[in-house]
Amino acid sequence: MKRKKLAIAALAASLAVGTLAAQPAKAESTSLVIGSVLDIDKLDPHTATNFATVRALGLVYSSLVEVGPANKLKTGLATAWQFSADGKTLRLTLREGVKFHDGSTFDAVDAKASLERILDTKTGAAARANIATITSITAAGRYLTLNLSVSNIPILAALDGVNMAMLSSTDIAAGKVGGTNKPNGTGAYKYVSWEPTQSVKLSANADYWMGEPKISDITIRVIPTEASILSAMNAGTIQFGIISDPLIAKQVNSRNLKLYKTPALAYYALQFNNKVAPFNDKNVRLAVQCALDRQEVINTALLGQGAVTGPITSPAYRSSTTARACPKADLAKAKAYLAASGKTDVTFKTLVTSTGWATSVAMAQNIKAQLAKAGITMELDITDQATYVPRWLAGDFVATLANNGGRIDPDTMYTRYFTSTGNLQKVATYSSATLDANFLKGKSSAKTSVRTEAYTAISKELEDNAVWVWIATPYEYRVTAKNLKNFTALATGSLLPLRSASLG
Amino acid sequence: MITRLLSTVFITRLVSVLTTLFGISIFVFIVLRVIPGDSITGSLGIETGALNPEQIAALKVYYGIDKSLVGQYFSWMGAFLSGDFGFAYSNGVSVLELTKSSLPVTIQLALFGTILGVVMGISVGMFSASKPGSTRDFAGQFFGLLALAIPGFVLSTAIVTIMANVFGYFPNGYEYMAPWEDPWMNFQQMMFPALVLGIAVAAPVMRTTRSALLETVDKDFIRTAYGKGVKHKVVQFKHVLRNSLIPIVTMTGIQFGYLLGGAVITEKIFAMPGMGRQILDAINKREYATVQSSVMIFAIMFVMINLITDIIYRRIDPRIK
Repeated sequence: MKRKKLAIAALAASLAVGTLAAQPAKAESTSLVIGSVLDIDKLDPHTATNFATVRALGLVYSSLVEVGPANKLKTGLATAWQFSADGKTLRLTLREGVKFHDGSTFDAVDAKASLERILDTKTGAAARANIATITSITAAGRYLTLNLSVSNIPILAALDGVNMAMLSSTDIAAGKVGGTNKPNGTGAYKYVSWEPTQSVKLSANADYWMGEPKISDITIRVIPTEASILSAMNAGTIQFGIISDPLIAKQVNSRNLKLYKTPALAYYALQFNNKVAPFNDKNVRLAVQCALDRQEVINTALLGQGAVTGPITSPAYRSSTTARACPKADLAKAKAYLAASGKTDVTFKTLVTSTGWATSVAMAQNIKAQLAKAGITMELDITDQATYVPRWLAGDFVATLANNGGRIDPDTMYTRYFTSTGNLQKVATYSSATLDANFLKGKSSAKTSVRTEAYTAISKELEDNAVWVWIATPYEYRVTAKNLKNFTALATGSLLPLRSASLG
Repeated sequence: MITRLLSTVFITRLVSVLTTLFGISIFVFIVLRVIPGDSITGSLGIETGALNPEQIAALKVYYGIDKSLVGQYFSWMGAFLSGDFGFAYSNGVSVLELTKSSLPVTIQLALFGTILGVVMGISVGMFSASKPGSTRDFAGQFFGLLALAIPGFVLSTAIVTIMANVFGYFPNGYEYMAPWEDPWMNFQQMMFPALVLGIAVAAPVMRTTRSALLETVDKDFIRTAYGKGVKHKVVQFKHVLRNSLIPIVTMTGIQFGYLLGGAVITEKIFAMPGMGRQILDAINKREYATVQSSVMIFAIMFVMINLITDIIYRRIDPRIK
């Protein structure tokens, strides 16, 4: 009997050891596997909005300009640019010797066709609004000239990114972009394959204009939970993880892993519907602003992972976090504002997405608890992201906790919200003649001092009127294997720095 | 006479099945339309706000949501019946193609989970029922209670975390391999999620087995068997277990059906590209065709499982007509 038990134990042990010992071979040293919760959803760079698609296609396509470290604009497929004195013409000099993945040469005709495709309403391009001031485009040799309807300096920054990818004019003419067509870009990596819900495979472009990347192959693998991504990294199965949950980021403690933490351009805000009660009363909005301790939200819900922010997160024009009615929580002032509004207590519902980002509900609960101290009752209306989005777009809320994307230029970040004709005015619910004038002033001038003045005034107006309560900017997290060298994390979340990285 | 009776039973059954499937198709179709959002907002998110009316109209045509609700239903149902399950826009392939790769994963996982669960459940149930009220019965029931009480996501997360952090082992981090591509890798990727699902199945099977055995063991024919001198093991397996199988088979059938449609969390944590994930992603993106067609596939499979369960009943107990 004893012998039988021993034999069973030995069999079980050998099976376990055998299983562990017979792990599959790990990826070759020049191959990088990235773990991502999201799968890509299309292959057309101009219509891409999903983060995973934008990240993956960012390695395949190039744009005329790029956002580099410290969020500064740098050259991309354009090596130089010049605005006319009235700011209504932008002339770009294009890089020579750039080749598409199919071997054809990139030139100004391709650039013109690409921008015209974005401007064509039939394309449904995600960033069309950012360059809608282009009235005509001229391609001549190495030069591309954009003629604008109004002076528009921020249009240069708007030319960055996957949504502004340069495509082959031949592909555009033949309708071979997106769908099941193989992406043909000028980027660091060539598209190899996409297996829906599983992975996207890329291989290094030997003719890349910055030189062939050292990492020969990249696989972006869909691992649907961030905890599993971290487990796969701990097991050495993957070498790069895209993380957004601060709780997961805090668990990165292996000696073999490195955590990159970059302040994001995105921001969390408690958005008010300024058109309906109780937030059609400025004093109520200010009361909420004063009752809220933003640092407490960061410390509790974000586990300390974030920074207090004002409206503008664009690094060059960042809003001061002290230029507001209550830079720190002030309950007495909050109650005074409530008294001024003639209300003794305020109750309102806040629309919250449960699946939009990891800390959404925790943040809402903390805000609710804080506001209760000032006699303000915030009820939570929690829903999934797919339900949240249409309600958010329709302005179907009294208040909502939002995680909105930021841009390196305040113009592309906020004109769509806070100008009287902005396409997200229904969401912003606030505009004024002074805001319109200041946005126009910021858009029209190339002088940093003038633009700073305009955006400081915009920020002040938004804060003084407590249009929304801007809370914090989160961090962008990247977890990498220790042997990934020369990688720089960008605030935009782009994977483009992998073109210079190596696995040592 | 018998042939006529059988054909009446068959026709009644067929009508009942078709009515059920029709009801499910209507229900899923309506539920998807009632919840806010559509394929456009599901795909573009807040960027939908940047679209002009022309673009929105073009996208409605693209996603097939420009037609009336009745038109949309019949257009989908007509295509479904002819084998066209629609297009999964966010995956860039047809729903049929998507299902071809995800359905085998889910079926394999559900089969492995059910087999493990039935083996564990029947063993522990028999062990427990062999001496009611004893320590072994208590231990068996404790196992059943524990397996019921531990949520699958907790067990899955614990297994993944321990295996990855302590042993540096997480085969599911590698690309998914089908059994015909790499059987050994497939086995490694399947074993832990199947174990988690198996434990969830084992609990109800164990409890059902125990109570069915205890009920059968008191029957006269068992006493007769013992009185005739039949060996204990033979009585247990040939007479007690066999005559207790109907509720066990029923429970197993229900659990198998449940696993086919309900392994979403386990599939997510273990990164298994199965049907559960496919449907959940499609719901989040409001991909109507993917959700509707996938649910119909599940419904058809569920009906088939019920049919198979009925056939098994007749094999086990010839008295059932």
